[in-house]
Amino acid sequence: MGKNSENHNRIINLLRASRPIFNSASDIEREVIQKISQKNRSETVLSDITDFLFGWVYIGWVRRSLITASVVLVAYFVWQQGTIIRQIKYLSSQPVMIESESRSFQTGFSGNKAMLLKLFGNKLPTQNITISKEQMDNLLESVNDLQTQYRELIKLIEEDPELKKYLEKKLTEMNRTRIKL
Amino acid sequence: MRLKSVTPTILTDLKLIEECRGGNLEKFRKLVQMTSPFAFSVAFRMLGDEDLAKDIVQETMVTIWQKLNKIKSAEAYKTWIYRIVINKCYDQMRKKKSNPEFTADENTWRLISDRISVEPSAELENSETAMIIKVLTNKLSPKQKAVFVLSDLEQMSQDEISEITGISKSGIKANLHYARKSISVMVEKYL
Repeated sequence: MGKNSENHNRIINLLRASRPIFNSASDIEREVIQKISQKNRSETVLSDITDFLFGWVYIGWVRRSLITASVVLVAYFVWQQGTIIRQIKYLSSQPVMIESESRSFQTGFSGNKAMLLKLFGNKLPTQNITISKEQMDNLLESVNDLQTQYRELIKLIEEDPELKKYLEKKLTEMNRTRIKL
Repeated sequence: MRLKSVTPTILTDLKLIEECRGGNLEKFRKLVQMTSPFAFSVAFRMLGDEDLAKDIVQETMVTIWQKLNKIKSAEAYKTWIYRIVINKCYDQMRKKKSNPEFTADENTWRLISDRISVEPSAELENSETAMIIKVLTNKLSPKQKAVFVLSDLEQMSQDEISEITGISKSGIKANLHYARKSISVMVEKYL
């Protein structure tokens, strides 16, 4: 035990006496000064900007509150802009159909679809309708025929005053108005 | 058990600190020159690694520059700088936890034995000091290591250690007892 204690003391004394040799003091000193200078430079730029924007406020807490508020507002503005841009992107990816333009494409399928929409409007079910092109053409042809016949009938009635008078009388009796197609 | 020897201490004055606070880099250079050997000594003895100790010194000096306003007296400066070094060493030890621990083989112990028996009065080189510290304090917790280094190697009083580490005096006694016992066991076993 005595020998162990002696060894313990020796080793501790040796460590105590041997202070670590700090031989790169000048390197550390240079690097520290360099780091501090760099930090100072970046801090100066930041404080210059703050002074430029809020230099007119002399009360510390008011200045801090203003800085916080402006940071929050800028963050909100950026977020809002991002949301708007996302919405615009989403909308531009959606197909747009303008009715007035679609009339000129009555021979095409999309034109027919537009025509259908015009004819039936809200009466059309919201879900997709499965209809062949041929069926669509037949339907539209019938509608066109019906319109032509209606116009001819109106013309015929206009040309014959007696018939017109008779029909008006009948309609009044039935309490109905003329239906416009 | 504990031998008294004169240990150099950080000598600085409030005037120098005041000048540094004013942003005088030349004065701070002087403060770095005066302080860094002490910071290096503690960091080196805590970590047993010269390069890591240098990094700690560098980081400590930058922290000092940033927080110089908090210093109220030259005496507080001394405690404060040691506290920064110790805390940075703790961080470093936490990082090193994932690394494999240093284990000494028979050759290492023989080298240490030869070193203390053949030339007990000659001072150790940094590499030798690092090796011995690593071997002896390998099993100690960071707190035990800090108390051992500050008390037995840096020869600080319990009050100073308590102020630096934030450990109570009874805690210091307990940690120191455990550290010394652990080192004695290793010395008994291998030397």
